[in-house]
Amino acid sequence: MHDLTENRSVLLKIFYPVAALVLVVGAWAFLVWFYEVPRYVMPSPSDVANHISEDWQTLVKGFGVTFLEFLLGFTLGAGTGFVFAVLMDMSRTVRGILYPILILSQAIPIIAISAALTIWLGFGLAPKLVIVALVVFFPVVVNVLDGLASVDKDVLNLVRSMGASKFSTFRHVKLPATYSPLFSALKLSATFSVTGAVIAEWTASTSGGIGAYLLQANSRLNTAGTFSAITFLAALGIVSFLLVVAVEYLLTPWKSGHKARRWSRSYWQE
Amino acid sequence: MEQAPKLALMGVSRTFGDLTALSSTELAVKPGEFISVVGPSGCGKSTMFNIIAGVLQPSTGKVLIDGKDVTNQSGHVGYMLQKDLLLPWRTVLDNIVLGAVLKGGASRAERDEGVALARRYGLGDFINHYPAALSGGMRQRVALMRTLAMHHDVMLLDEPFGALDSQTRLSMQQWLLSVWEKEKRTIVFVTHDIDEAIFLADRVVVMTPRPGRIHEIIDVPIERPRPVSSLTRPEFVALKQRILGTIYNNASPANEEAAPHA
Repeated sequence: MHDLTENRSVLLKIFYPVAALVLVVGAWAFLVWFYEVPRYVMPSPSDVANHISEDWQTLVKGFGVTFLEFLLGFTLGAGTGFVFAVLMDMSRTVRGILYPILILSQAIPIIAISAALTIWLGFGLAPKLVIVALVVFFPVVVNVLDGLASVDKDVLNLVRSMGASKFSTFRHVKLPATYSPLFSALKLSATFSVTGAVIAEWTASTSGGIGAYLLQANSRLNTAGTFSAITFLAALGIVSFLLVVAVEYLLTPWKSGHKARRWSRSYWQE
Repeated sequence: MEQAPKLALMGVSRTFGDLTALSSTELAVKPGEFISVVGPSGCGKSTMFNIIAGVLQPSTGKVLIDGKDVTNQSGHVGYMLQKDLLLPWRTVLDNIVLGAVLKGGASRAERDEGVALARRYGLGDFINHYPAALSGGMRQRVALMRTLAMHHDVMLLDEPFGALDSQTRLSMQQWLLSVWEKEKRTIVFVTHDIDEAIFLADRVVVMTPRPGRIHEIIDVPIERPRPVSSLTRPEFVALKQRILGTIYNNASPANEEAAPHA
């Protein structure tokens, strides 16, 4: 009985997004056909599908390029943000100095600095990584700082009375407390990061990423190409988001179940 | 003093700015003794508790365990609060062995001991559960097992059963007494509940506020083991009256205003 309802809820979890997708694509196809919209204004789903299959290799390669920019930049930004937050939590002086810089970094529009970054760092991967990292960096710092500050003072006293060193207090009490807010920040910024990668590719595009592909298709009024790129970018955003969700599922088992997972190290067996 | 005290406070006091949270305090607890501390809020119970636990520095005085100066040193006593303070990301077992984990990792033997504790006290089916899946009473039992697993001779309990319903509370009190009798630990038990204080303790420390201090220390001459029926014996009721009188006369605002004219 219990298994049955659980299976049903898993099926529904798959069914709803698929149904939503079918609905959107169906409406799109119908409207284009019904109003006889010219192809250069709005291609039909089948036009886009045709274009994708014709240009499959370039698109897949572009997907790989942009995905790599996202993955490296995202990891870089999240990692740096995490370290910043820990340093700021440890020292009031560091926090006092870094906070205004952080807010400044967030106040400058990314588009404004992307040109400068190209001048400094060239046309390669580096400026894209920096821009993607900048997108994730701020939310990660703010949320991780919140997580570190949210640890109950009584818990800190307790573990101190148990003889915990500063390091083991950090490792066993403070660090795990940052996971929830950290992943909230990562989920929010995963899709924005893809936007960041696209903006970076628009500024300087020798990489052949999806953003560069989009720009080219656009300038040639190749709407089927534009929509193919958009399709791939949407897929990229969803993949990025799901990746974060998967890592969260692996790292925070207490949020998704009552018991330790059977294969985990903390699961006790006779 | 025929016996060297297990735990001794010598002239311990603490001020916060102008406020004297605890004025100079002497207290000697014998090995294996069960001491209850009662008093209204602001009487310095928590301050004294935190100083003994080593997480708060006293303004003056020393804390001795087995004659050794442990003032402002943590890690010498087991410690439990009304809040269970379980770590949500650790399973029941991993919370029980937290003391060992914090000192570098729990060995197989320490984990086995944690499992034995969980089984003995009715949590055998919940060893791999996270705290969020447990009831308040179960969580509090895990917290007590965490304290037991640390093998300290002295255990400090600050209203550990304060958040439990009265049935659970009574059975937890009896369980605590049986553990204490078996393991010969020295226990300092802070509570608001005068019945609980008398029922559990060899001696009751009565504290009063403004400034926080020990007002008197009362022996509980009721033999052990104590059945629930001892709660209604005349000696018990007389002790309760005496403690209530002390606390009421010293804590009532009317009394405080009248004092200068007296």
